[in-house]
Amino acid sequence: MITQALIIWLLPLLAFTIQIFVGKRLPRKGDWVSVSAIGISFMLSIMLMIQMFMAYDPEFAVTAAMPWIETGNFAIPLGIRLDNLAIIMLMVVTTVSFLVHVYSMGYMAGDQYYNRFFAYLSLFSFSMLGLVLWDNLFGIYMMWELVGICSYLLIGFYFTKDSAANAGKKAFITNRIGDFGFLIGLLIVFTTIGSFNFSAIHEGVSSGLLSGGLLTAAGVLLFAGAVGKSAQFPLHVWLPDAMEGPTPVSALIHAATMVAAGVYLMARLSFMLSFDAMLVVAYIGGFTAIFAATIAITQNDIKRVLAYSTVSQLGYMIMALGVGSYMAGFFHLVTHAMFKAGLFLGSGSVIHAMHHSMHKLHLHEDPNDLRLMGGFKSKMPVTYATFLIFTLALSGIPFFSGFLSKDAILGGTLAFAMSQHNPIHFLLPVFGFTAAMITAFYMFRLVIRTFYGKPVRPEIYEHIHESPKQMTVPLMVLAALSIFIVYTLPSFNPTGAAGGWFDHLIQHPHSAVSAQLGHDVLHIDHETEHLAHISGIIISILVAGLGILLAFFIYYWKKADHTRIAQSIRPLYLLSFNKYYFDEIYQATFVRGLLAWNDLLNWFDAKIIDGIVNLSATVTRVFSAVSGLFDLHIVDGLVNGLANVTSLFGNGLRKIQTGQVQNYILGALLGTVLIIIISLI
Amino acid sequence: MNNLESLQFFIPELFLTAGLLVTIIVELLLKKEQKVFTAYLAATVLLITIFFLIRQYAIEPAALFGGMVVIDPMAVFFKILTAVSTLIIVFFSIPSFRVKAEYYVLLLATTLGMMLMAQVNDLLMIILAMELVGLVSYVLAGYRRSDPKSGEASLKYILFGAASTGIMAFGFSYIYGLTGQTNLFEIQQALQSTQHNPVILFVAFVLIIAGLGYKIAMVPFHFWLPDVYEGAPTPVTAFFSVGPKAAGMAVLIRFIISIVAGVSADGQTFTANAPIHAQELLAVLAVLTMTLGNLSALQQKNIKRMMAYSSIAHAGYMLMALAVFTSQSVEAVMFYLVVYMFMNFGAFWVIHRMTPHLGSEEITAYTGLGYRAPLVAVAMGVFMFSLTGLPPLAGFIGKFYLFAAVIKAEWYILAVLGVLNSVVSLYYYAYVTKVMFLNRGDDESAVSISSYDTALLLVFLIPTLVLGVYWVPVISWATQSLHFFLG
Amino acid sequence: MIQLNTFLIISAIVFSTGIFTILYKKNVIGILMGVELILNSVNLNFISFAKYSDAQINGQMIAIFIMILAAAEAAIALAIILNIYRDRAMVDVTLIDEMKN
Repeated sequence: MITQALIIWLLPLLAFTIQIFVGKRLPRKGDWVSVSAIGISFMLSIMLMIQMFMAYDPEFAVTAAMPWIETGNFAIPLGIRLDNLAIIMLMVVTTVSFLVHVYSMGYMAGDQYYNRFFAYLSLFSFSMLGLVLWDNLFGIYMMWELVGICSYLLIGFYFTKDSAANAGKKAFITNRIGDFGFLIGLLIVFTTIGSFNFSAIHEGVSSGLLSGGLLTAAGVLLFAGAVGKSAQFPLHVWLPDAMEGPTPVSALIHAATMVAAGVYLMARLSFMLSFDAMLVVAYIGGFTAIFAATIAITQNDIKRVLAYSTVSQLGYMIMALGVGSYMAGFFHLVTHAMFKAGLFLGSGSVIHAMHHSMHKLHLHEDPNDLRLMGGFKSKMPVTYATFLIFTLALSGIPFFSGFLSKDAILGGTLAFAMSQHNPIHFLLPVFGFTAAMITAFYMFRLVIRTFYGKPVRPEIYEHIHESPKQMTVPLMVLAALSIFIVYTLPSFNPTGAAGGWFDHLIQHPHSAVSAQLGHDVLHIDHETEHLAHISGIIISILVAGLGILLAFFIYYWKKADHTRIAQSIRPLYLLSFNKYYFDEIYQATFVRGLLAWNDLLNWFDAKIIDGIVNLSATVTRVFSAVSGLFDLHIVDGLVNGLANVTSLFGNGLRKIQTGQVQNYILGALLGTVLIIIISLI
Repeated sequence: MNNLESLQFFIPELFLTAGLLVTIIVELLLKKEQKVFTAYLAATVLLITIFFLIRQYAIEPAALFGGMVVIDPMAVFFKILTAVSTLIIVFFSIPSFRVKAEYYVLLLATTLGMMLMAQVNDLLMIILAMELVGLVSYVLAGYRRSDPKSGEASLKYILFGAASTGIMAFGFSYIYGLTGQTNLFEIQQALQSTQHNPVILFVAFVLIIAGLGYKIAMVPFHFWLPDVYEGAPTPVTAFFSVGPKAAGMAVLIRFIISIVAGVSADGQTFTANAPIHAQELLAVLAVLTMTLGNLSALQQKNIKRMMAYSSIAHAGYMLMALAVFTSQSVEAVMFYLVVYMFMNFGAFWVIHRMTPHLGSEEITAYTGLGYRAPLVAVAMGVFMFSLTGLPPLAGFIGKFYLFAAVIKAEWYILAVLGVLNSVVSLYYYAYVTKVMFLNRGDDESAVSISSYDTALLLVFLIPTLVLGVYWVPVISWATQSLHFFLG
Repeated sequence: MIQLNTFLIISAIVFSTGIFTILYKKNVIGILMGVELILNSVNLNFISFAKYSDAQINGQMIAIFIMILAAAEAAIALAIILNIYRDRAMVDVTLIDEMKN
């Protein structure tokens, strides 16, 4: 099994190497190299999956490690861990990646940097698979950075567009803020426990090597990495901008896999979260879920709606891990990966058609704009049908995968709130259910405005065509994977995952924190859980139905004019439309802050340094009067040069690095004197 | 040990001196077009010296020449490091200094100086070794006589350097006055056994730090560095950024573990000899050094100048680790220097070989290089990301050890400031990568590089990549070398 | 008999004179003279400490070495200055500032 896993992991790297060096010279620009590499990985993952089913054991795990780094105070074994979590995640990554590869052969056809695109996709697949396979935080951190770099490269793929290059930069920088926390968390874990290995950390936390406030701090800091990568509030700003990248990339990286890496990391680390850390995780996730959903309502760019929806759904997963619903969070990751990748690929199909139509008409409008679409149902039947399935799944309608996982999360949140003494925690389910309603609303708004009704622009509509096979087949596969039965076998229960293989195989790992404390971090009895689950099902069907009805009411039957509604709640509308002004706030605080810092430096140059210089010039003058008695020559030089020297010092040190070596020496001396004076005081 | 007995432990230095003299004589016999032969001769001399140096690991730590110098694994480590860096620089310089035979002689002379700096054990020896390196460096900085910038660089360097040496020597004179000793270990004993006026001791300490700080580019004694780095010929700049800096670190380490602090019973930490706040001072200076380096690098448009400020920032990271006074931090610095050598040389090599093609040292000249010379640009990207400290590159591992040492010593704020700084540094390093790959320039003609250039590029690129995933040999080398002669 | 302090004070004065010479002389040769003054103050310190507090000859020895060092430094500095002079026909340090931020 380990060999299989290694092949799965390394094949994309091989493809990347071939692509980057000789890709351009290969027939078809070498797309088949990347596609077949990930294809084989995909097959091998299915075989791993089968082996996992044969075992059918929640505790199933194969590990392999070889000594890698061993020195006196530093030991990192090079290890791989294949447990149910990793195998399912491998399956998700290879499936989506493979389908996106196939889809890209159609979508990117004719692009100038076709081979480079596939090279980046392969590199990404390699890094993402590595992230899944490693059994230690150190390896994960390495791959974590590597996927970040791939994302940066792929967002900026259309680098001739300024907005794309800037979006790439924004993604990179925002992620670094999160990674800053991750790295410190990593260092805390390493210095206290002395290992990066998950099982060693488990033991270390159980035996109390890392405890109390430091344990909470480590949990929250590691979570900061996930906040950046999974675009959680307040670091969510990069993900919508990342939609500047090609649509297949949005589907693979910014919907299904990379952004879920943060959730995966938290799932891996859930055993070391203290109660306080869990609360932080749950609230950040819950708040993100509702916050991003409210933005999605008013966006007009089809991909941006989906992007905010992704942020919101990632918030759900994070919230689930925060309230201890380990299985639900990971389950939603898997189902969401399928239908959200499908939604992005479907929107890519629409954009592709729009693009071609506009190209024919020589129009230079935004092909992503919802307001130019409408009535595409009859022109693009496959895209429409699959898109509808994905939307139903995302909205949480029974018989589709999204219902199972979302319901599990909502039930878990409710159970958490019910088991706590503090009623404030009911905020979490409230966030969850409200966001569920808004989700159903904005998704149907999207579907209705794109596919239903009369064409808004008949001339564009005229030239819309269904996309080629390479693009529609992946959509159909993903649609099939969004049906409930895929996840509930061997049971046929469309309202709950209980009894299904997923529920059986993914079970919450024993909390190391509980072991350390001697009692459960979080205790929820079965009765509460059952009650919460039943009420969860009922409420979530109700809110989803309400959201859909509302969308039909406004956009399909046009019982209320949406522009009028927007007018009547204008302040709220503007807040949402402008994404709560987060970009502006960051601009005003951080960017301005940097500028202010510069002003401060200039002021420092002008006032303080000049002041010191003038003072020292005066001192020089006084001193020279005394020492001049000894040496007439020096006095002469001084008297003649004094005016020059003073003005030179005064004007010359606007900037510290003046080019004048004497100023440099003066700077060093003043530094020395300052050090002595400050230390002695 | 007396002078005659000491000679047997001084073989590498003696051989290097002999080799240096032979190179001068051989140079006289060669015709102009044959003079490149001296470069290969110098390389051979260095190679044999390194061979002799490796054999010195077998020697028990001891003091030589009446305590003037010591021989211990740490000295051997730094001697090998500086000799290897010079060896690389010889090959680095061949394309630009083919017929300048005396250039290689000067390189050998600095190497001798750096090797002495690695094993100093006496105030006099510190001054002499540092001046040997300094005097030759001044000449090297001004080596391109036709370039007025080069002359300006050497003038600034010598004036700043001479003043710093003078100030440091003044500090030494007070240490001598307080203790009556010039041998570092006797000074240590004198400081531990009797109480001395802490004010005078502190003043002397600061004056000495000023002199040492100038060598390793510590703020506020760094002013000379950007101008000298910009003006000096690029091979020389690359040379300055590693060898002399490593030697300066070696002296600083010796100074810290003998005069400032003494080793604790477990051999892991060093406790201060006298009640002066040396650690806090070094920590503050380290933070200032990296912050100033990074913030200034952000504003640079000339890539050599940017690299100059980057090297100030890196001195700050190393200083940060040294400020915590543990043997682990010394080990981290030693490891970092090795890693830094490869990635920094690599970046300078790209700059050096690309400048004639691009016609400028401005960063904007690198626009679209990723499409004109893919291998070079990818390598440059790797060096930049490695200097930032992104995994899985060597620079990350190096930084990791530095930060781990600081955190282990529980100087959390210092570590956080360090990490914050390395986040800031990302902006200017990534900017270079960005213009190379994400922008396109007007000129799209392919840049071809010779196989010699490619070969040397790989010499820097491969270790930068490999040490990012497999660094055991280097770290165990550093661990083995972590053995001081302590009186 | 003259006290140690007298020497130390004189040496400090010479040192400061050297520093100020370095800082305000425009001619590079003048700055070099400032450096010599600093080195001489160092020598004075070493010799007087050796005389008053130590029976060994360490201090005197260092002083002799520093004299040699000063000579070497001056030789190289003069060569560099000559090189500059050939280029620019002047040695005014305040005008040699082509490289700056």
